[in-house]
Amino acid sequence: MNPNKNEKDQGEKTKPEKSEAKLSAVHPMNDVRLRAARKRLAESRDQEDAIDGLREIAANFLGSEEIGLFKVERRSATLQVFWSFGIDLEKYDLRRVLGDAGLQRVMRGEFHVELAARDRSGTMAKAQAFIPIRVSGQTVAILAILRLLPQKVNFDASDMALFQLLSDEAAGPLFGPIDDSKSVPEGSGIRA
Amino acid sequence: MSKKILVVDDSKTALMMEREILEKRTSYQCVTACDGQDAVEKAQHEHPDLVLMDVVMPRMNGFEACKMMRQQSATREIPIVLVTTRSEESYMEAGFQSGCNDYITKPVDGAELVALLQSYLGE
Repeated sequence: MNPNKNEKDQGEKTKPEKSEAKLSAVHPMNDVRLRAARKRLAESRDQEDAIDGLREIAANFLGSEEIGLFKVERRSATLQVFWSFGIDLEKYDLRRVLGDAGLQRVMRGEFHVELAARDRSGTMAKAQAFIPIRVSGQTVAILAILRLLPQKVNFDASDMALFQLLSDEAAGPLFGPIDDSKSVPEGSGIRA
Repeated sequence: MSKKILVVDDSKTALMMEREILEKRTSYQCVTACDGQDAVEKAQHEHPDLVLMDVVMPRMNGFEACKMMRQQSATREIPIVLVTTRSEESYMEAGFQSGCNDYITKPVDGAELVALLQSYLGE
């Protein structure tokens, strides 16, 4: 997936100058990180432990201590805050942040990644990422990585591999078996 | 005989990664502890050549464990490297005041970690 693909949806006012925001090469020890993340999720005892694992992966591997998980409520076709760490998401407006098109793309299974970069007024826009948590081709939740630690300036190519792993493998440990018959059609009518 | 490193973290994820880096990328032996108190006890029994320790942990944090190890003759001379998400200067200063030898921040860069350990223990 191309993390820069979604940037055109950012408002003109907040759109960062992207020329300086480039992904660095995949780190040679990335495989170690991926194996540890996979093992941690797979060995989760229950939902609470899987959530702990997600928090640990975000802090230790992605360098973020502000994360949130929005669950797709199938009956009402809405996104509800399921869990958060380091930030109160009570009044967080995911649709406003992602935009309608961005939200639809995440629902279709694409990452929405905003890289840290200076905007035209010189303000540093923070890096953040929204990762669809998928099962059987459906997005069942969205993981939001909302702020990086000061020593971690941006996401890199290794982080994209970790996003993919989370997208593909986190749903089972987090939510258990999911009934596909009540799925929300991809990209349609979801409300944040 | 291979050098022994005591890796201390309450995060199973961090322990998994650090253990794998040490076991697959170095010849060091790895033992683990899940918090500061466990670390102080294991350091006395295992006599590690170096302690790699998280700071924020339940029961006893890394700073307290570091101070305790410095007060005990069996562990006084063991190099201690603290690992944490906090990068503020005041926080690092508190780490050095507790007696640590080095300080690295998360997310840990595996190659950097190996290089740091080798600077203390040799290859």
